[in-house]
Amino acid sequence: MASMIEIRNVTKEFKVLNRREGLKGSLKDLFSRDYKTVRAVDNISMSIEPGEIVGYLGPNGAGKSTTIKMMTGVLEPTTGEILVDGNIPYANRTKNAENIGVVFGQRSQLWWALPLIESFRLLKDIYQISDADYDGMLKLYRSLVDIEPLLHKPVRQMSLGQRTLSDILAAFLHDPKIVFLDEPTIGLDVSMKAKIRTLIHALNKEKNTTVILTTHDMGDVDALCRRIVIIDKGKMLYDNDMEHLKGFFGNYRTLKVRAEGDLKAAAEKISAEVPEFPVNADEEWVSILVDESKSGVMDVLGRIQSRFSIKDMQLEEISTEEVIKKIYEEGVS
Amino acid sequence: MKKRGLGFYLRIYFRILAQDLKSKMSYRADFIISTIGMIFTNISGFVSFWILFRNFPSINGWGYYEILFLYGFSLVSLTPVQCLFDNNWSLRMYVYSGDFIKYCFRPINLFFYYQSEVFDIKGLGQLAFGIGTIVYSWGRIGLELTPLMLIKLIVFLITASLIMIALQNMAAALCFWMQNSFFVLDFVYRFRDYAKYPVTIFSPVFRFIFTFIMPIAFIAYYPSLVILRPGEVPILSWLSPLMGCLFFFLSYKIWMYGAMKYSGTGS
Amino acid sequence: MNLKKYLSLTRAGIIESLQFRIAMLVMFAGNLLYLTVIYFLWRSIYASSGSEVVNGMTFSDTLIYLVLATALFGFMEMYAVWEIGRAIQSGKIVLDLLKPMPYRRYLFWSYSGSFVVNFFTIFLPTFIVVAIVTHGAIHMGVNLLYFVLAVVMAVIINYSIDFIVGTICLYTESIWGINIMKQVIVLLLSGATIPIAFFPEPLKTIVSYLPFQSIYNAPLTLLLDSGQDAVSAIKVLGVQLIWCIVMTVISKLFWKASLRQITVNGG
Repeated sequence: MASMIEIRNVTKEFKVLNRREGLKGSLKDLFSRDYKTVRAVDNISMSIEPGEIVGYLGPNGAGKSTTIKMMTGVLEPTTGEILVDGNIPYANRTKNAENIGVVFGQRSQLWWALPLIESFRLLKDIYQISDADYDGMLKLYRSLVDIEPLLHKPVRQMSLGQRTLSDILAAFLHDPKIVFLDEPTIGLDVSMKAKIRTLIHALNKEKNTTVILTTHDMGDVDALCRRIVIIDKGKMLYDNDMEHLKGFFGNYRTLKVRAEGDLKAAAEKISAEVPEFPVNADEEWVSILVDESKSGVMDVLGRIQSRFSIKDMQLEEISTEEVIKKIYEEGVS
Repeated sequence: MKKRGLGFYLRIYFRILAQDLKSKMSYRADFIISTIGMIFTNISGFVSFWILFRNFPSINGWGYYEILFLYGFSLVSLTPVQCLFDNNWSLRMYVYSGDFIKYCFRPINLFFYYQSEVFDIKGLGQLAFGIGTIVYSWGRIGLELTPLMLIKLIVFLITASLIMIALQNMAAALCFWMQNSFFVLDFVYRFRDYAKYPVTIFSPVFRFIFTFIMPIAFIAYYPSLVILRPGEVPILSWLSPLMGCLFFFLSYKIWMYGAMKYSGTGS
Repeated sequence: MNLKKYLSLTRAGIIESLQFRIAMLVMFAGNLLYLTVIYFLWRSIYASSGSEVVNGMTFSDTLIYLVLATALFGFMEMYAVWEIGRAIQSGKIVLDLLKPMPYRRYLFWSYSGSFVVNFFTIFLPTFIVVAIVTHGAIHMGVNLLYFVLAVVMAVIINYSIDFIVGTICLYTESIWGINIMKQVIVLLLSGATIPIAFFPEPLKTIVSYLPFQSIYNAPLTLLLDSGQDAVSAIKVLGVQLIWCIVMTVISKLFWKASLRQITVNGG
């Protein structure tokens, strides 16, 4: 089976202006300018199969948007090669555009003043969707979300949640092979987030659409992604299954205990007792991040208990959030 | 790949146009005030014209009604840029905020998609003023009215309109390279006021500039000669349709090049 | 009032406008080209009229007048109507109102940096070029002092009018329409496009009772008329001063009264 997206050794560099500070600096900038080259994406390779939902993660400025722009044909890589469904996107943007749908977080691509249904009709014309396909898609939408109240509302009057929902529906309307979602749940409340995740999941199942999702919300990742790719400072840090990731760090568990008296002081003493693990204290708990490959949780608990009387305890699996944070901070060794 | 011909683009355009008008109607007050503003602009133009010619009955051998004809011609040939390409004025804002990228994901021509979004209906008032002026001065000068003359008039008006569109496209496209391009756009916009004067008033150097570099002489002067003084039409007048097409094509290429170059940098 | 906080707004404004290097270059070059057009246009107008002096103005008088009017426009235009209108539409106005100074002052001083930059890039070079080209037609005497005083008051009157028109944006969404009406009226009736000396008598009388002529016509006639006595100059300045006070008071009161709109509508 051919890959839906194939990225080979892609690098993208930008020239940016170094501005000087202050009134004097501005005057100097008038006459001489100082540029530097920034490598936004640095030798990235990956291949994505049809129907996959891939979480594309990284801290701000890691190069996520740049990669997506290259895959959508807006940007041309400095070196390397990209194939999207067999096409080179930047060589033929228009052809590539037929195969993809894009949602950019808070930037609606719908016609601001038009009711949603009119935007849909325009998209039907632009993408030359047949009547049958269009009706089928609307029927599918109706079965998934309650779109009736949205259809006749101008986009500018919608709430952010409604707008995002509409944007996602619009992106899937022409049944594209790939949909790029950039921060689709940013700024939304919990119930709207859940609604949008369910919708994306259902559309991916129903149409076998490949979905590339960038997000800072690990809830999105947990709910949708089987596979994640992490980049930072333009470099690929990780590309594998969620399962594998969890397994990789699965040796870690967080042991939380509550001791008598001042927790800060207790934390220090516990830290002395188990020096191999990081110890933190908040208002309620002292938490110890235990690496089970070094010593078991029960063993650690025993060592602590031999010195303190513990009032209460909890054991937590490490969350995706913490795993990602660890990868950002330490990398995958 | 699916075929996208002229018919396809026309259908899309009229669909967007109809929707745009519908939504404009929902801002009734804005629509009315803007229309009044536009009428004001035209009236003030005529008043200035009238005050000037009260004091000076002719310019460089051009009589009152001939200049008035040039004026009307320029009003009409400046209408398309006002009506159809008004979104150029917002371009720098879209580019600055990064929202421009949303136009890059559709499988249709980027330039078309961007310009199609706005139709400025106010420009139609200018069209009416312009046509009225042409008809009035036509009668006063006593030009003959034949079908051939009419066809000439229409062809030359349409191709002349491409010049200002081209200039504005280029000025607007500058925002892909520089941050504060408003001044350039505003500058070009102000320049069109001088399109209505005969280019012969300038010294040879500037005549050259306004003919070939900033070709505002093709907005009214050269094409009008074909109608006004059929006995002494210079070769440049006959070339003016070609100039219009050429400049438009050039500006389109520059605009698209800038758009493709830019779209990467903003986040 | 603590001048320091206002001057630091000025400083920030200067830094901001210096960022736009190409914009400044274009503005500078564009201005020169614009002046050239004015020069040729009026030279041929005067040549066709057959007399040296029209309505009491020689060719170099008219040239200096119009060129400096354009330079003054470039220097004074603050786009305050747009600024206020956009701030209202985007809701940014609420943040601006929280600044520890009145909005009217905040906006003015935020823009003042551009005054400084525009003075050196637009006004001064234009003034020097014009003084040289017209071979000392600008008299260098006490009239320069009158001119400076008159320009300062013109800036204040112009800003007050802008602010009044900007305040209207609290009531309507039509920024474009409101702004174009203002611009057309101010430019025509202030004598910025055609010197008021050329206006027909009845119009001249009407205009003399309006504040607009204090913006362009007053400073420019003070500069050009070298033979005037102190009394008539002080009369002109006095009228300006009165308009200065009247327009400032009106703009303040109107803003104060209208501000309730914001609090009622909740921004």
